Amino acid sequence: MAEIPAGPAQDTQDPEKGGLKSDRVSGLVLLALAGLIAWLNREFPLGTLADPGPGYVPLLLAVGLGVIGLLVALLGGRSEALRDIRWTEARRAAVILVACVALTFALERIGYRLSVFAFLVFFLGVVERKKPLAVVLVATGFSLASFHVVAILLGVPLPRGPWGF
Amino acid sequence: MLETFNSLMMGFAVAFDPKVFMYAIAGCIIGTLVGMMPGLGPLAGISLLLPATFGLDPIIAIVLLAGVYYGAMYGGSTTSILMRIPGEAASVMTCVDGYAMTQNGRAGPALAIAAIGSFFAGTVGVIGLMLMAPTLASFALRFGPPEYTALLLMGLFVLAYMSGGSMLKTLAMAFFGLLLGMIGIDVMSGYTRFSFGMVELGDGIGIVPVAVGLFGISEILITAGQAEPPKVQRPKLRELIPSREEFRLSVGPILRGSLLGFAIGIIPGSAHVISSFVSYGVERRLSKHPERFGKGAIEGVAGPESANNSAATGAFVPMLALGIPTGPVTAVMIAAIMVHGILPGPMLIEQQPELFWGFVASMYVGNLVLLILNLPMVGLFVNLLRIPYAYLYPCILAFCILGCYSVSNSVTDVWIMLAMGAIGYGLRKFGFDLAPVALGLVLGPMLELSLRQSLAMSGGTYMIFLERPIAVTMFGLALLLLALALKPVLFRSKDWRSEVGLDEKVD
Repeated sequence: MAEIPAGPAQDTQDPEKGGLKSDRVSGLVLLALAGLIAWLNREFPLGTLADPGPGYVPLLLAVGLGVIGLLVALLGGRSEALRDIRWTEARRAAVILVACVALTFALERIGYRLSVFAFLVFFLGVVERKKPLAVVLVATGFSLASFHVVAILLGVPLPRGPWGF
Repeated sequence: MLETFNSLMMGFAVAFDPKVFMYAIAGCIIGTLVGMMPGLGPLAGISLLLPATFGLDPIIAIVLLAGVYYGAMYGGSTTSILMRIPGEAASVMTCVDGYAMTQNGRAGPALAIAAIGSFFAGTVGVIGLMLMAPTLASFALRFGPPEYTALLLMGLFVLAYMSGGSMLKTLAMAFFGLLLGMIGIDVMSGYTRFSFGMVELGDGIGIVPVAVGLFGISEILITAGQAEPPKVQRPKLRELIPSREEFRLSVGPILRGSLLGFAIGIIPGSAHVISSFVSYGVERRLSKHPERFGKGAIEGVAGPESANNSAATGAFVPMLALGIPTGPVTAVMIAAIMVHGILPGPMLIEQQPELFWGFVASMYVGNLVLLILNLPMVGLFVNLLRIPYAYLYPCILAFCILGCYSVSNSVTDVWIMLAMGAIGYGLRKFGFDLAPVALGLVLGPMLELSLRQSLAMSGGTYMIFLERPIAVTMFGLALLLLALALKPVLFRSKDWRSEVGLDEKVD
């Protein structure tokens, strides 16, 4: 969700104090990414300045990204300290991502309805600890209703499992 | 002028076709509901509905998606005012005074002024679109590859200069997006680039998985584990009527917000987000009692709400006239039109007049529908907010996966969406604006193609960019913007962002 400005930002007394700065880290990550792209790009012909090949523009962009990354890192002394970034939701975010990966993996193997049913049972029952009846009702209702609307009413093909379900 | 009027009448005939009209209303209602759900802004809503439009007539498809866009903007303001939850980034400024008004017992008038302002601004925006797009399109018929190269480069500089956050970080994200756009087959040489042997990446990365991942999934990851939202108020119909004083105070901000928003909307980037910040800054500066801002000043609702709606319409001008998206929403809309074999650009208005004018007319209709439907039904809509978030977010996640999968029946798109969600989450934690990534992804292949076509045209000499007046003017403007953007960095002076209070984080 977008952050809501609550008032003037607090002044940093000494911007260089407080350990590693977030912009320094992100700038260096961008620089490393640019380096990786330039390295991957080596297999495509660069062509010439007058007749650019398929590797020309990607290299130009990678160089641009690297330069900007370097500037972000160099000018990032006044940014937020890395340790001040709150990661309170990180564990929950990781669980969400892992569950989504599992759903994606299962989608074409056991079909849309079963995999979404299992996904919702996991979230509502295990992660959110809702009452079993509510979990079963929501998971069944959502998986069947969304399939009906999307696959049958709108005609968008959705995967079915080996049992045709 | 008479020709415009006749074309508009033809558009109204299309818009009032019962089927088109029904889809416009459906789009507005779906959009309002989507806009009210945390984690599903207009972009995610449009992206998820995209597969459902494949089987529809192109006019109906674009009318439906535009209705979702408008509706989501309205829905976002409702949650901002009643719960201090911006359904999407453009509603952030509405939260400040809108929620303060709710606490002061004036939720009804805040909602009414937001709706009236949005209606007025939307109408101003449509008039602007109607007058500007055909003119711009006929001008753009003179554009060749060198002009498009200059235009796209200028757009990127404008994006960086007008971005809500740090210019360098915005440029970094634009470059990242442009690089994502390099994935897939190079149309001029036939080389498949950065596909790592995956056939599915031959066509490149689609805008839908990137947009849903960056904006939908990352939002859910960020809000995961947050406390339940506060209890929601349900204003009754009679409580919606603003007082005479509230009306008087809102007229100026609505007028200024509408004009300002439209002008900013044409510019690439997070235009509707920026426009609401700029409008809030302007209103605070013009007010005789700036101390009221933040404590429930109705001008702080009227201005930003009008500005972001007008900007939303302004964004359609370059999309329809030039075929160039100014933001992620218009990028997805372009994808929606292209699915039907229609190429947005200067020839669209000439070749598909029913589509353009039907779209314009349906925007008038959509605005009116939203005003009539949303205010009396606000009590009904807020029931959605009573659903606990613990039930909502797993369903939203399933919707995101479903929507992405069904665009091309490919699990690869879902993997891309999840990867983008994780990347977006990390980038937001480090204060990066995500809109330039989506924009860069769409502009990247266009920029590369126009640059290489220009060089092919000129036999390899770069002088072609200096020999053509339109291209030279655009490059000049790009350099001017670069100089303006570098000034505060080099001289450590304040730039326009601090003037309007945009130095707060926007994502």
